[in-house]
Formats: sequence, structure tokens, C-alpha cells
Amino acid sequence: MHTRSAILLAIALALPGVPAVAQMSRAALVKQSDIIFIGTVTQVGAVAAPEVPASNRTVVVRVDQVLEKPAAVALATGDSVTVEAARPGSLKAGAQATFYTNGWIFGRGVAVREVGHELGHSPVAVADQEAAVSKARLDLNDADLKAHIDRAAMVVEGRVQQVRTAELAAAPGRPRRITEHDPQWQEAIIQVQDGIKGAQPGEQVVVRFPGSHDVAWVGTPKFAEGQEGTFLLHVDSTTGSPHTMIAGRSVLAYTALHKLDVLTTQDATRVKALIKKP
Amino acid sequence: MVLYCGMGIQLIVVAAVLCVACQGSQQQEPQPPAKLAGVRVVDLVPLSLSGETWQDAEPFLALYDSNPKLMAASAFTPNPGGSTSATAPIFVSNDGGDSWTLRNTLPSENMTADITHAVGANPPVLYAGILKVPGAPLNELKANDFLSPATMTLQSSRADIDQPFVRTAAVASADRVYVGLNDFDAPDGRTATVDVSLDGGATYRSRRIETRSTLGQNGPSIRPAVARDHTVYVAYFGWRSQAGSDVMSDVVVVRDDSGATGSAPFKDLVDPSDHLPGRLVATSVTIPWSNAPTLGQERIGSTLSIAVDARHSDTVYVAWADRVGTGDIYTVHLRRSGDRGATWTGDLRRVTNATNASLAVAPNGTVGLLYQQVTGSGDASRWATRLERSRDGFATHQDLVLADVPATTPAFQFLPYLGDYNGLLARGDVFLGIFSANNAPDSANFPQGVVYQRRVDFPTHRLLDGSGAAVAVSIDPFFFSVPVLP
Repeated sequence: MHTRSAILLAIALALPGVPAVAQMSRAALVKQSDIIFIGTVTQVGAVAAPEVPASNRTVVVRVDQVLEKPAAVALATGDSVTVEAARPGSLKAGAQATFYTNGWIFGRGVAVREVGHELGHSPVAVADQEAAVSKARLDLNDADLKAHIDRAAMVVEGRVQQVRTAELAAAPGRPRRITEHDPQWQEAIIQVQDGIKGAQPGEQVVVRFPGSHDVAWVGTPKFAEGQEGTFLLHVDSTTGSPHTMIAGRSVLAYTALHKLDVLTTQDATRVKALIKKP
Repeated sequence: MVLYCGMGIQLIVVAAVLCVACQGSQQQEPQPPAKLAGVRVVDLVPLSLSGETWQDAEPFLALYDSNPKLMAASAFTPNPGGSTSATAPIFVSNDGGDSWTLRNTLPSENMTADITHAVGANPPVLYAGILKVPGAPLNELKANDFLSPATMTLQSSRADIDQPFVRTAAVASADRVYVGLNDFDAPDGRTATVDVSLDGGATYRSRRIETRSTLGQNGPSIRPAVARDHTVYVAYFGWRSQAGSDVMSDVVVVRDDSGATGSAPFKDLVDPSDHLPGRLVATSVTIPWSNAPTLGQERIGSTLSIAVDARHSDTVYVAWADRVGTGDIYTVHLRRSGDRGATWTGDLRRVTNATNASLAVAPNGTVGLLYQQVTGSGDASRWATRLERSRDGFATHQDLVLADVPATTPAFQFLPYLGDYNGLLARGDVFLGIFSANNAPDSANFPQGVVYQRRVDFPTHRLLDGSGAAVAVSIDPFFFSVPVLP
């Protein structure tokens, strides 16, 4: 039974255009890609820019429509891109497809490595494909956030009342080090307005965060007094000192080190909806 | 009327004084030097990333003697794919630095914390030491072909390390790799360490080079330099005591005469004061340790560089920065030894409010000193990137301004703003180096000229993205080549 199901699934995955499978496959493709575009193969075994090594896996693709790309990347309709195909011979000249790719070589032009592609029946309905990729990305973002919520010990909507320097107990036998990568731990005391998960309104929780501006902590959320938001909090397993003091009591300290751990107040509605999802 | 006349005279006098002051000031201002033949300055950001606005700080450069076309460079440049990317990028040139591409070949999520690298004997082998994201463990890496899209191979890894600084030496049997680093797990607070590999990075052995008591650790900068006869010098900060944010430090140089192949390496240079390995080049200097914008928008506390004359290993130079205490923020010093580190000159150069000193010695003996200096104050302050070259051991020198850019823009995104170090190397009759700076495309900012790969509009001093829309000014890495003195 399992073998038969696996064979059917494999056949379905190999057949572009089967709606349910295409949808499932598209989500996986989108998840692994940072540059997605509709394009037409113009040359096989060739490259679009001299800095890219040609091989039997490289093809030149004319970009018909960019669906997703990082803001810094210069890529537009009409550009020629070198694509290193996932499998040699899988892309023929004249084929139009949606290409799911990652950046490979950035020079005068862009070269990408294919994660996968969806062949289209030329001309591909651009609006349909754009909407499909966009929906897949939104679903993935929701799934990522849902996973973060599930991992969080506490989810609160609240306001930062105070920021103070963290007084961490030094680990035995480990003197404090002077390094430019020192996180310079700070503590934000958050007044809970809505205990979405694991907390009660009116409660105060202590969240540790790196006050350092060092490159090792770039992108890690920082807190400021008066800041309001929706916060996904994790029991502190980073500093080596899991407890802190508040109003004379020893309490667990939390962290919020991922960018998804600090959201806006408006995001509370989305978070609550995701919590209810199975 | 008299009053008006009197005021008029006063105004004339004041104006005349101001005019004289103005003229005097203009005469004292360093005039933009004429462009020097053979100088190139190239912004590394490629055309296809014209929309980037990141702070590409702390640049580094690696190049081959045997193939002048191949070079690798790095900075705190993220993978353009975004924060979820599993790899970080490195810049590559295969035309001698005229053009550069970005390739995601480092096993670090999105970008690295620290990174330095050096080449193997045979192109295109490359060795790198990175602090990997996440968690910042040391990764000692190797690529047999740094032009290939393959992720660099991990050769060794451990935690609690700071500022890996890679140098290599070519031998017949296998590359030797020397990674200076600050190892917080070293015993007795003597953290200055060199990871030595004598077999092309297959195995590393950590060699402790501090022999004196410390305040609990050494400074972050541990800098090796290798001569052709396999003499290896290493400079480091011997941190002895601390008062507030100031660290009292010795500037120390150790030496090994046989490539650190012996059982007790780096003990060939002894200080006459205590007969311990490690010559004290300077003692009890004040290192202001500030992990906040302090000099311009840059942090300070670990500027150190060493260079040996590769063909005449008796000659070695050291540069470091400390606070002299005469109103300076941070002052770069340069000293020289002509007897294998046994004795040292006093300061040959002393540059106020400067950082990121990097040294190199060319085959003909020309020594280069690269540094970045804050001039002016407030909104008028600027970062000047200068290369000084001397043919006579810095009895005299020639100064070259590579960049002179606003210091207050762009606002820092993180620290370091420009880098805790930059890079200078010598090959044949040129110095080749790299620095980071404000990338506004204004010819006045680059007295020796500049070439952008990314899209710019010089007449309007604007950066442009792929669609022609304006892009905010940011920090970019700049490669340069400058002829040595004849």
C-alpha cells in the first residue's frame, strides 16, 4: 500500500500541470528559492555573462517577468540570465517556464542555480503565476510564524516599561571576556496587556536582548522603553543565567532573538489566528 | 556717522583678519595631490547588485604571486538572497582587480562575523578563517578552487575564538597556514594563540605565544607575518591591567625562525628585560576599549599590524594604535626593526585620530602604511584613507589620499563601521589593498580617481539601482593598486 502510494506520488510530482501536486511542489520550490521569474530559454550550454563558466548545465534565459527577487538585485524583464539547471538536458531552447532559483554569481549580470522549474504552455499566464507564487510565499511565511509561535514559551501583546543592564551571574571558572562581540545583555521589562500564550494580562516579564551594535548581533531585535508590540518569548537558554529578579522576586528570564519574535501590535490578530490553526 | 565709520573700519579689520586666517587655513590645508600614474581604485559591488545599501565593512584581500589575475576579497557583505540563506559570499576577481563578482561559497548563514583569508601556493587554493553565523564558532576553511561554486570545506572548528587572521607560506610539500586568533579557552588567561597547520590545513595545532601574566586575556588582534625564509613573526597586545575602559598593554612581537615547525615554536625572540620570549616593542600603552561609535562612527581598541620584508627577514615593521593622551582619540604608531626584532626604533610615524593601520613591504623594500583618519569635526568631519610609502624605512615618505569622504554619513548600521581592520599586500612593483568607505559617487571624494561597477551617475553624485531609481549612500569595499616607489 505504501509502495503504491509512493509510486503514484512520484508520478504525480513528475507531471507538471496536475493542480494539487503542482501546488504542493510549488510551495517547496518557493521555500528554497530567493529569485523567481518567468523566462524563456534562448541558448543551451551557454552563458549570459563572461564571468560565469559555461557547462552542459548552463542555459541562457530571457526574463519575461520577475516574480520575486531581493531588493538589491538588478533584474528586470528583458534581461538575460544564466541558469545552472538542476539536471543537464532538462531545459530546451524555446521552453518557457517559471524558474525557482538562488543567486549564484553576481557580476555584470546575474547567474542563478535552479532549484526547479514549472514548464508553462507559452504564453504563460503571468498574472496567474504571480498570484500563485505570492500565495505560496504568504502560506510559507504563515507556516514559519506558526512554527515560531509553537516553539515560544510565551506570546504576549505588551509595552516595554523599562530597559536595564542585565546582571548575569558569571559561570563558574569562566571569567568575563572582553571582546568586540560581547552581546552586552540588556533586559526589557514588558507589561503584558494581552497574554496570548502562557501569560496573563497585567503580568510583567523580563526579556533579555543584546544591546551590542556588533556585527555578530546585527538583525537581532532590540527593545526600547515605550515600545509596543507582539512578542514571542523563549526561556533564556543563551546567556547561561536563566533567572533574573523583578520586584524582589526571582523569575525566569526570556529571550526574543529572532526577527519573527518581535512583531507589531497589529500582528496580534494574525498571531491569534495562527494559534487556532491546527 | 563716526560710529558707522568706526564700525566700518572694525568690519574691514575683522574681514581682513578673517581673510588672512582663511588664506592661512587654505595654505595649511593639504592640497589634493595630482593623480599618480598607475593608481586604480575600484568599488567592488557589482553591477547586478546596484540596489544594495548594506554596510560592507571590514574588508580583506588575498592574492597570488604566480597568477596576478586571481584575487579574493571579503567584507561584512551578506548573501543577496537574504537572511535565511545558508551561505555567505566572497568577492572574486579573475582579471587582476578590474572587475569583481560575488559568489556564495562560505558555510555561514547569510554573512560571517569575522573573516580573513590567504592563498595557497597553487592557484586557486584559498584558506579562510571565519567566525560562522550563527553562534560565531571559528571555522578554518579551504577551497581547492575559490572560483568554483562549491562551498568551502571545513577543516577545523571550535568555539570561544575571536578575530582569526590568516597568513600562509608556500613550501614544496604542503601549504603552511598560520591563523592568529584570541582563544578564550587558553589556560591562565594567556589567550594569544596561533593555529599552525603544516599540512595544508588538514590538521591544526594551537600554539600559545603569550608568556607573561595578563589581566585575564590578550587583546583581540594576533597578527602573523611570514618571510620567504620561513621566519614567522607574530604581533599581539599583551594586556596587563585595566582601568575603566582603558587597557594598559604591551605591544609584543614573537618570532620563529623555522616556520613554527619545532616542538616549542615562537620562542626565538627574547626580551632583554625579563628574558622571556616576546620582544616588548612598546610597554604600558593605553588602549581605549570602546565598543561604541568613538572615532567618527567607528569603535576602537584593536588596531595592530605587522609586516616583514619577505626577502630580507631581518627587517620588520609594526603599527598599532593607542591613546597618547594629548587630546587625541586614537593614535597610530609605526616602528621598525632591522635586526630580526631584537631592537626597535621609536615612532617613525605618529598619526592622530587614525585607525585600521595595515602594513606591507614590497620586494624592492618599499614599505606601505595604509590607515584611515578622521579629519575635521562635527558634520564637517571626514574619513581620509591614506597610503604612505617609504623607500628609506620611513625617514621620508610619500603620502597618497585614496578616499576622503564624509564621516557622518551614512549612519552606522552596526559596528565596526569601516572595519576593525582592512588589508594591504605587496606583489612585484605594486601595493594591492582594500578599504571600506562611504560610496557616494563624487569624484572629489577620490582624488586618485575611482571606478564603479555598480550603476552610478557621477554628475548628480547618485547611486542608481537596476531600474535607474536613486539608492541611498552606504559603505562599500574598495580595491586599490598603487605603484611602489622606484
